[in-house]
Amino acid sequence: MSEAKKPNKLRRSLFTIFFMFAVTLVFIAVLSLIYVLTRDTIRLNESLVVKRAVLYVAGLEVPQTGIEADALYQKRVVEVKKEGEVLYYEILSPSGELQSYVVPVLGAGLWGEIESVVGVEKDLKTLTGIEFIKQNETPGLGGRITESWFKEQFRGKRWPLSTVPEGDPAGDQEFQAITGATNTTNGIRDILNNRLARAEQAIQASQ
Amino acid sequence: MKSYKFRQVIKENVGINNPVFVQILGICSTLAVTNVLKNTVVMCAGLVFVTGLSNLTVSILRKYIPGRIRMMVETLIIAAYVIIVDVVLKAFIPDISRQLGPYVGLIITNCIIMGRAEAFALSNPPTLSLVDGLSSGLGYSYVLLIIAFLRELLGSGAIWGFRVLGDWWTNWNIMIMAPGAFFMLALFIWVVKGNFMKEKQTASASPQAVSAGSPPQPASAGGKS
Repeated sequence: MSEAKKPNKLRRSLFTIFFMFAVTLVFIAVLSLIYVLTRDTIRLNESLVVKRAVLYVAGLEVPQTGIEADALYQKRVVEVKKEGEVLYYEILSPSGELQSYVVPVLGAGLWGEIESVVGVEKDLKTLTGIEFIKQNETPGLGGRITESWFKEQFRGKRWPLSTVPEGDPAGDQEFQAITGATNTTNGIRDILNNRLARAEQAIQASQ
Repeated sequence: MKSYKFRQVIKENVGINNPVFVQILGICSTLAVTNVLKNTVVMCAGLVFVTGLSNLTVSILRKYIPGRIRMMVETLIIAAYVIIVDVVLKAFIPDISRQLGPYVGLIITNCIIMGRAEAFALSNPPTLSLVDGLSSGLGYSYVLLIIAFLRELLGSGAIWGFRVLGDWWTNWNIMIMAPGAFFMLALFIWVVKGNFMKEKQTASASPQAVSAGSPPQPASAGGKS
């Protein structure tokens, strides 16, 4: 390095700037390449999270591979949109008739917004299932809402819902709370009752 | 001679100069991601990848990096590798990526990585730096895995998401929350320092005293988190 031999201040500064610039350029180039290569996979994964959730709450068997899940979704699910946002999903039977609905349900949990989809029968009262798409509840406490036993207990329940302690037998309009996660469970109870009432009106209005 | 150096570096990072229980570095992620074993494994794999490769890269560039901007360059290199980890997780294991949330990005702020780059990679050749980075990552990982194992077992009665303790077991909710990690880490440090560290220090002190100067002495890292 001639720069090192001649202690010239200006040249040293220029080299410093040039070096930072070059290193940044190289790393940005590499990262952009990786980003471009994985972009489609990541987009597919993100859209599949919602699609799988919709299929799961409708009580359909969700295929393992992304491509199959996507194909089943295209065949059985109709997105009913209003102003670009999905208002609700219509689930079709294999012969193409309306079978049930799936409604996006959002609301406040303990730490942040809980984003979920909930399936309801044609009567708009009986739940066919629930799946959480995004939640920031305490891992191991409120975070247990994503556990299978908690989600599965909603199938066949009728809203408005209330809670019973974890482990107790729950009636037709009740579900088991999670011990140590009262705020999360109550949050879910409230957003389910509110949002499903709203969804009922919206679906009835659009028919 | 060379293999002696390698062994010395590994011994330092895994045992007598362990980043977690001796230098008390990287505590933020030790507390945050150790409540479920599966997440911990992914986090540790990410960290080993980043410490190893950032050390290697810094070491390759060490003769060209101008002293004044070395921190900027190091941060840039570390950030680039962390972004690679984040993108790969998002593309190939999206479920775990969603659970880890912001913690993958926060690998950038893990002091172990910056510490090793500053203290070791800037003054040592590439292969040795790579070994140093990887073994620092391992030293961090096995501590986290032990803590995560105990926290998940006591806090959820499960290991790797499968319930192993029967219905008689009452979950210790405190273990799942961040304070549980403090207790576990403190107990871990107590047990290790009380039972193993004393012997190791006396055992390693004598050969170092004899061949003073020849083995590399990786300086302990500066910042703490």
